[in-house]
Amino acid sequence: MLIELTDIAREYVVGGETVRALAGVTVHVGKGEWVAIVGQSGSGKSTLMNVIGCLDTPTRGTYRLNGHDVARLSDDELADIRNREIGFIFQNFQLLPRETALANVELPLVYRGVPARERRARAVAALEQVKLANRMTHKPTELSGGQRQRVAIARALAAEPSLLLADEPTGNLDSATGEDIVRLFEQLHGQGHTIVLVTHEPKLAARCPRAVRLSDGRVVGDGPGAQVAFGDPRP
Amino acid sequence: MSFSVDVLEGARIALGSLLAHRLRTVLTTVGIGIGVATLLAIVGITQGLDASFEAQLASLGSSTLYVAKQPWVQFGNWWEFRNRKPLTLAHVEAVRAQCGPCETVVPLVDEDEDLAFQGNELSAVNVTGTTEDWPRVSGFEVTRGRFLTQTDDDNLRLVAVVGADVADTLFPGVNPVGQTLRVGKKPFTVVGTLGRKGKVLDSSQDLVVVIPFHTFTGFFAGRRSVTIGVSVPRPELLDEAEDALVGILRRARQTPPGKSDDFAINRPEQLASTYQQLTGALYAVALGIGFITLLVGGIGIMNIMLVSVRERTREIGIRRALGARRRTIIVQFMLEAMLVSAVGGLLGTGVGLGGARLVSLVTPLAATVKPLTVLFGVGFAALVGLVFGIWPAARAASLDPVEALRQE
Ligand SMILES: Nc1ncnc2c1ncn2[C@@H]1O[C@H](COP(=O)(O)OP(=O)(O)O)[C@@H](O)[C@H]1O
Ligand SMILES: [Mg+2]
Repeated sequence: MLIELTDIAREYVVGGETVRALAGVTVHVGKGEWVAIVGQSGSGKSTLMNVIGCLDTPTRGTYRLNGHDVARLSDDELADIRNREIGFIFQNFQLLPRETALANVELPLVYRGVPARERRARAVAALEQVKLANRMTHKPTELSGGQRQRVAIARALAAEPSLLLADEPTGNLDSATGEDIVRLFEQLHGQGHTIVLVTHEPKLAARCPRAVRLSDGRVVGDGPGAQVAFGDPRP
Repeated sequence: MSFSVDVLEGARIALGSLLAHRLRTVLTTVGIGIGVATLLAIVGITQGLDASFEAQLASLGSSTLYVAKQPWVQFGNWWEFRNRKPLTLAHVEAVRAQCGPCETVVPLVDEDEDLAFQGNELSAVNVTGTTEDWPRVSGFEVTRGRFLTQTDDDNLRLVAVVGADVADTLFPGVNPVGQTLRVGKKPFTVVGTLGRKGKVLDSSQDLVVVIPFHTFTGFFAGRRSVTIGVSVPRPELLDEAEDALVGILRRARQTPPGKSDDFAINRPEQLASTYQQLTGALYAVALGIGFITLLVGGIGIMNIMLVSVRERTREIGIRRALGARRRTIIVQFMLEAMLVSAVGGLLGTGVGLGGARLVSLVTPLAATVKPLTVLFGVGFAALVGLVFGIWPAARAASLDPVEALRQE
């Protein structure tokens, strides 16, 4: 198993009141799977993604990534895991505005200490994979939304992580551009990448081989995408 | 990721950020620059003053002692000093006979007298009565004619050797040797002139007339306390000589044991310590102002770095999500702070050096700046950046990545 989440809870204390973003989530994801996390807004999808991505630590439960218990890791080790094992793709792209597409894609490799020449070659290859080789020297502001998201995907791919984590990757795109991005994910899944994709759109989740439905921080459905995506959250 | 990669990448980001905010960078550097400029100008002037004063002191002789009734620098009861028994020729003889480390021993008496030569006049010039060995103690050289001799002294001759300023002022275009110089009311024959020694603390050593010791005591102030001028072969012997002198003089003057010395042994370097006491306070105040200016500059750096961290919170979140460690973020922001400060330091160094030069042009102070000072200026500014960059950088590194990514 690549991802083993067991009874994960994440609580926030806001003004003396406890908000349960996750209330005991158990999900396992194997290598090469493509899993959609669906649920209404506020159901805890992003929180779960942050936990899986080692950006956030759960207040309860155990999380094993590639067999390692994440709770035992230091802040530096978590940074290294994010660098090597996780490729993030965000709804609002999260590109550095002052850097070129190429420099953005190189960034995780910089933090891994890859020498400049190799870094550049790998970044170029990743940009070619998302069909943006001709926009390498452009800055994010000079690119369309779809192109920006493809730069972000290239950045995630360049690091050759075990896991691609996408949080509403089509949320800021029109439907045609969104469709391009979904096709790209299908392609990446075909190449053997493991993908966890957060979305609130049942239509998108339905296209995934597997979907997990969250409601109020709990898993209320887990099965083939086409079944779970439109399912009633309260069976 | 290794530290060197942190530094390289951090420097690249810092440079990019500074170039992206040129106006802000320049404004921030000004504060640090003014601080460094102030400090450097002060250090430069201080170094110049010290250098010129050291040169002046060296002209007083580094291997000489002057035993006198009173210390040159007095703290305390002047009445006690005044009522001391005078030093006499007998004491000079005792020193000459008994002081092992002493090489040359001469008696000195002096008084201010008016001088005149053919309508040229000088008032209140130091007239010193001494013996033939005086040049070996004072370090003066005879440039024309001859110095005083034992015979001059034995016969109470009215002969004089004049300092360079006296020669220039009273005898313009004339060789003073052989001329008759009026000292007070007495006519003296000039037998020699002295080489130039320059000024000490604005008073000329060359405004002097030297006459035989017994001529002085015979024609001017007879019952005056004598100063004993002593030279030693090497400066290292000064302490030994001082100990010997104390013993000899206490015996000769029958100072009871337990009573403190009723005479003073003066050294030129005592002047240095007095000078340092006088000017030290001044420097301290000036340096304090410089440091406060730097402090203000440093707070400016801190402020701008806090703004920079807030503006770039999302960037920090992105970098953390992609695998930047806390240390990497700290290094990035510290380098940015240090870079701004170092640029300010460089500007300030230029202005400070210019200021010091200006001071040396328009005032008699010689402001010299040692090359190391420049390095100090830039390095010190960078250090200020380091110190005032720590807090903003630590704040940047301690941001929660999830929160940081959420920021607009
Ligand atoms: N930093 C936080 N502080 C307090 N409450 C939070 C925080 N982050 C998320 N929550 C709460 O946790 C719940 C789940 O949020 P989230 O995971 O963002 O949901 P989703 O992505 O499914 O819309 C929501 O009720 C949200 O208000
Ligand atoms: Mg969300």
